[in-house]
Amino acid sequence: MRESGIAFFSSLTLHSLSMAFVVGINFVVALRVVGFAPRLEIAALCRFYVIHWYAAALIFISGSALLLAYPAKALTNPVFYIKLCAIIIGLLISKRIQSTFSNKPDVSIDSTCIKLAYLSIVLWIVTLTAGRFLAYTHSILLASRFY
Amino acid sequence: MIDFLLDFSQGTGIYAFMNSPWGWPIAESIHFLGLCLLIGTVGLFDLRMMGFAKEISLSELHRLIPIGVAGYLLNVITGTMFLSTAPDQYLYNPAVQSKSFFMLIAGINMLFFYATTAADVQSGASSSRVVLRAKIMAGISLVCWCAVIVCGRLITYYRPPYHWCLWC
Repeated sequence: MRESGIAFFSSLTLHSLSMAFVVGINFVVALRVVGFAPRLEIAALCRFYVIHWYAAALIFISGSALLLAYPAKALTNPVFYIKLCAIIIGLLISKRIQSTFSNKPDVSIDSTCIKLAYLSIVLWIVTLTAGRFLAYTHSILLASRFY
Repeated sequence: MIDFLLDFSQGTGIYAFMNSPWGWPIAESIHFLGLCLLIGTVGLFDLRMMGFAKEISLSELHRLIPIGVAGYLLNVITGTMFLSTAPDQYLYNPAVQSKSFFMLIAGINMLFFYATTAADVQSGASSSRVVLRAKIMAGISLVCWCAVIVCGRLITYYRPPYHWCLWC
């Protein structure tokens, strides 16, 4: 992974592309839940979660490949754990919103859903920011420097 | 051109901000946030026009486009910050040139869509010619924006560009 330019670049590109779809779909659904475009049916919008979950799977596959390439760089950086926690909680909220609204056009939006939608927006911004800061905050690149 | 961009960057305080400890990653984070807003709105609209999630009203989904435009503006602002702070790393970089090319194609495609097809699509016209034209334009748009992300990632790989660029 580390020595093959194509493998590393492909993983990085796939990670960015799938992240754009996951974050984009979550933003749109969350904005709808908090009141944007009120005539747009949330239940219908939930159809895009199919793409969202495929993209989320690609995030974990490409993310694992990137982690294998530079394990010490990520695992010794607290920002990596912030990103990981934000993604996991963000995806759990996605699952909750999807199960609340998917195929249920008559469900009303309660205050818990609105709070979760705001939290989702914050968590995905944290994920993006932490992802970018990973490249600038590592203190160790390769564990081999200790041997 | 490089001198002009550097003067602009230094005169507006962009250069100082971008060379502060966290200036560059903050701008990069905002840049990617803008792209996500674009994919989440324009990308979903394109997918809908291509036939995905047909139960969603196109005119209602189109109401989300201003969010995508806001995302695009974030990209233009932060993109200008990158370009003016390190113009030699961007102007001659083929990844940036490819990215600009795909943005241009996406822009022309969008203008063509609004000039010829948008009204028919939003009014629910279902003639096979309109549907086919809309699907092709949506496909071009989606491919272009995905290519913009790919080329954006490539930029780092071709720094500095002088050593390998065939046409610089």
